Amino acid sequence: MPRTYGLIDGNSFYCSCERAFSPRLRGRAVVVLSNNDGCAIARTAEAKAAGVKMGDPWHLAKDRPSIRAAQVEWLSSNYPLYGDMSRRMYQVLADRVPRVEPYSIDEMFLDLDVPGDLVLLARELREAVRRIAKIPTCVGIGPTKTIAKLANRLAKDDAGMEGVCDLRDDRDRQRFYEATSIGSVWGIGGKTTEKLEARGVDTIARFLAMPQRDARDLLTVVGARVQMELRGVSCLPLSLMAPTRKGIAVTRSFGKPVTAWPAMREAVAWYATRAGEKLRGEGLVAARMGVFLHTNPHGGEPWYSAQRGGRIEPTADTGALIGEALRMVQPLWREGFRYMKAGVMLDDLRDAATEPASLFPTRDPKKSVRLMAALDAVNGRYGRGVLRPLATGITRPWSTRQARLSPRYTTHAAEMMEARAL
Amino acid sequence: MVARDYDGGNTTGFVSPAGDALEGPIDLSEMLDLARPHRYTARVLGDGLRERGIFHHDVLIVDASAAPTAGRVCIAFVQGEVLVAELALRAGGWWLKPSLERLEPISLSGDGVELWGLVCGLVRAEV
Repeated sequence: MPRTYGLIDGNSFYCSCERAFSPRLRGRAVVVLSNNDGCAIARTAEAKAAGVKMGDPWHLAKDRPSIRAAQVEWLSSNYPLYGDMSRRMYQVLADRVPRVEPYSIDEMFLDLDVPGDLVLLARELREAVRRIAKIPTCVGIGPTKTIAKLANRLAKDDAGMEGVCDLRDDRDRQRFYEATSIGSVWGIGGKTTEKLEARGVDTIARFLAMPQRDARDLLTVVGARVQMELRGVSCLPLSLMAPTRKGIAVTRSFGKPVTAWPAMREAVAWYATRAGEKLRGEGLVAARMGVFLHTNPHGGEPWYSAQRGGRIEPTADTGALIGEALRMVQPLWREGFRYMKAGVMLDDLRDAATEPASLFPTRDPKKSVRLMAALDAVNGRYGRGVLRPLATGITRPWSTRQARLSPRYTTHAAEMMEARAL
Repeated sequence: MVARDYDGGNTTGFVSPAGDALEGPIDLSEMLDLARPHRYTARVLGDGLRERGIFHHDVLIVDASAAPTAGRVCIAFVQGEVLVAELALRAGGWWLKPSLERLEPISLSGDGVELWGLVCGLVRAEV
């Protein structure tokens, strides 16, 4: 286990990815929206200053006077771009420290068990990530992951730290612990914070003053572990492998409400198609499926929600998955509702290579594998959904709204950054 | 086995002497090191760099980690625009040198300008 951890995270990561290729966005207020261009999910400092909040719905926020005055640039989320920039950030770091754990798309834990001045190294890492991966970052340093995460937050909130906060020193931590609310600690959620505050435990210092037994009784073993980590005793090692998938879920809100069965059928068929692609991408077959649909839980519309699941013949065949999904979702359909979301979930995933052949197969397994390989090859080359079953629809009015999408600068040859020869 | 799966080694009659020596096609992505984090691509618009052998619609391979050198071609952000031009060193600072003599060089120090990366290669799909 490393004796020193770092946590580096990208500032307004999605917005920074957009700015990397668009000089027009530099210095301007930028907001990235959730799927269907619904709510703000990333904001630059300029957008925060103009009063854009996390989760602000675009259609309401865009006309507020302060936001109008700031000429905020609203963008659809461009995940192919963000994924590739995250990959670059990881590689820059992995070239410079012994081990890196990609914790989320925009934050990575670092093994900082290296000789020399760690604050200097952190500054160099920031500079390399900014220059090469084009992402501005902050770095937190501490003897445990929990402290490194806390230090990172401090570096982000306090501009005077110039992006690096080192909490390796016990005395530095004590001062900070007395002035910081327990709710800002990694692993202590909103509910837990309420529980602690009800007992007068509002700061980190007070939380650490609690006997370990009390912490465990109130917050289970997680609470005791957080206490240990905050004291500088490392309990959480770096994990270098993503946990193996337990299930695959393809669930989407519709671009506009679905009110007719043919549209719902198309959407569910498309989600089953995507789920099949994901299965095959990982060499798996699924032996269980679930489907659901529901109306908008907010906004006062009539509420209806239904789900169903069951065993299926183990498969990764798109045609078979569509058949099963439609068979399951059809009885759930009720006329007269405005549906907002549906989804297809696959469980009981097994390795396609070792899955025994069925005694009574309903399909020719060899033919299916070849057909699916051809389908995936065409779509891999010409783009997702270029070749797809007719059941998934042609005009697809329900599909995700992404009216403000930027180019996929780094993953699509036809969309790369353009430069004018001077 | 269908014909398109033939890779130069898996013959049906006589055993291919090349069977153990197959290497696959040349990988341009590997040659140009495109899997590395500092490598980007950019499409050229316009013929301003024709004298440097860079034409409209060429794909530039850009290195975001290389140190600037006078005379090299670079990508720079200038007042909201993405430009590709030759770098020049003047009075201790970096400048973009326009291809047309009558245009003034553009300074890369100050607000609204940024040296983004250095051009290290070029791909032209059609000649």
